[in-house]
Amino acid sequence: MGNHVMTETEQPSAPAIELEALCHSYGDTEVLRHIDLRIEHGEIFGFLGHNGAGKTTAVNILTTLIAPTAGTAKVCGFDVAAQRHEVTSRIGYLPADVRMYPHLTARENVEFFAKLSGVKKPSTAVDETFEYLSCSDLADKRVGSFSTGMRQRVGIAQAIVHRPQVLFLDEPTSGLDPVGVRQLRETIIRLNADLGMTVFMNTHLLSEVAKVCTTIGVLDHGELIYKDTIAATTERFPDETSLEDIYVRMERSAS
Amino acid sequence: MTATIARQQIVSLLRQRTFVVLLATLIVMTALAGVLGWSSHHTIVGVYDEAVKLLASRGDPAPPNPFLLKPTLALLSNMVVYIPFIGALLALVLGHLSLVDDETVGRLIFSRRISRTEYMIGKIVGAAIVLVAILLASLAVSTISLAIVNRTMPTGADLGRLAAFYALSWLYLMVFVLIGMVTVLVTRRRSLALLSAMGAWLVITFAFPQITSGLRPTQSLNPIVDPASTSQAFFRFTAKARPYSIVEQYKAASASILRTAGTESTTSILRQVAPLLGLSIVLAVVGIGLVDRHDYSSGSNDE
Repeated sequence: MGNHVMTETEQPSAPAIELEALCHSYGDTEVLRHIDLRIEHGEIFGFLGHNGAGKTTAVNILTTLIAPTAGTAKVCGFDVAAQRHEVTSRIGYLPADVRMYPHLTARENVEFFAKLSGVKKPSTAVDETFEYLSCSDLADKRVGSFSTGMRQRVGIAQAIVHRPQVLFLDEPTSGLDPVGVRQLRETIIRLNADLGMTVFMNTHLLSEVAKVCTTIGVLDHGELIYKDTIAATTERFPDETSLEDIYVRMERSAS
Repeated sequence: MTATIARQQIVSLLRQRTFVVLLATLIVMTALAGVLGWSSHHTIVGVYDEAVKLLASRGDPAPPNPFLLKPTLALLSNMVVYIPFIGALLALVLGHLSLVDDETVGRLIFSRRISRTEYMIGKIVGAAIVLVAILLASLAVSTISLAIVNRTMPTGADLGRLAAFYALSWLYLMVFVLIGMVTVLVTRRRSLALLSAMGAWLVITFAFPQITSGLRPTQSLNPIVDPASTSQAFFRFTAKARPYSIVEQYKAASASILRTAGTESTTSILRQVAPLLGLSIVLAVVGIGLVDRHDYSSGSNDE
């Protein structure tokens, strides 16, 4: 797949994602507390945590949808609050329960997002993306009639049509059947291998994290309580047989 | 970016059944205005012809045809009523549908390079273009109706006045498009947004005119004229409030443009149009301000 974005695409020397003392509050409720995190280019990072731990808030900040209350968040060396334009040129985003314009076809939807990302030849980029994701059969159907799995595939297409450097996936497996989960896993691995995309993934599906991610971070009540590679994590907890057991142990120790 | 947003919106709107049904209703009402005009014309001319025959048999002179004394565009005076009713409702739905899907899609849009101001301007431009297309269709139907009823094509001057009437209608309906948009941004919920917009339409179209000139039944007739001055404080207040009743200003300006209620100077018409223009600008600025503060991160509209 070629690169379609008009902005420069050189890999900056800065890490893919860098959070420093990142805080966020909704009114009096502190959702993120002094998060320090560094994710290098090429990593597939699994962000784990219970419901309400603050994972989605972190993604919302990193995708520039909300501004942090305090601290800094950078993507490819650019500050999400002060350099929004630079950040949004370099990221792709697939939210949980992705929704697109139901009256438009998959092609029209993805082409729309390609144009918003400044892709030079949106039509070509869309064709290449659908072909890459093996979902050209969906291109000319209206999104309103799609199942969750079909929506997810088109959702990934819109997230990568501009060939971002960092891809944010928020609970990407929610609502997918086992085949859909496997297809998604294979897609993430391919995107990382073929295009060198850094992937930041919020998820509860620990079995998938073990198969896909290179690094994990655990968020508990807004605090980052753990971050390391999958290999180092399994070495550190030799008594536990699965990532699920390790995660439960971490959560229990934190509480 | 603005053009991309506008183009997407136009395509999306034209594929929505609710919108297409309302659009068809407006076009049918336009045609109906022509049919009613033709019916009234046909009946009166029929009575006139009978009267002429009767008078001729008595050797009396016949008076001139009453339709020769009326402005040709008077046949479309019902449009001045349909636009604030059906047209405004269509405009509300147009504004509502323009933004409501983005309560969920907004997360994807604003994780892109587009600014929120560009987005909102794109939405307003898209809705404005759709409205122009709707009114051009209505203008075409009106012109055809006039040609059929009068058995001749409208003159250049008549077409100019008709175009001016539709331009005024566009401005009037833009107020309702913007109300439809603002209510989505304020309420977030689909049904509540539409209900709030309908509430605004009811107040503007029915309640406010009742306070201003509806209290004087003769002035509720369409087209209405300026209320007579009065010594009663209440009526003095309602007379002062009248310039802010945009539906009355619209009807009065339309009547002047179509020449169905005497002729008024251009300055006087512009004075009637000013509240519409002012309100449109205020609503557009409010809309841009609201989008800037709107939370698109949750991706839900609770329905």
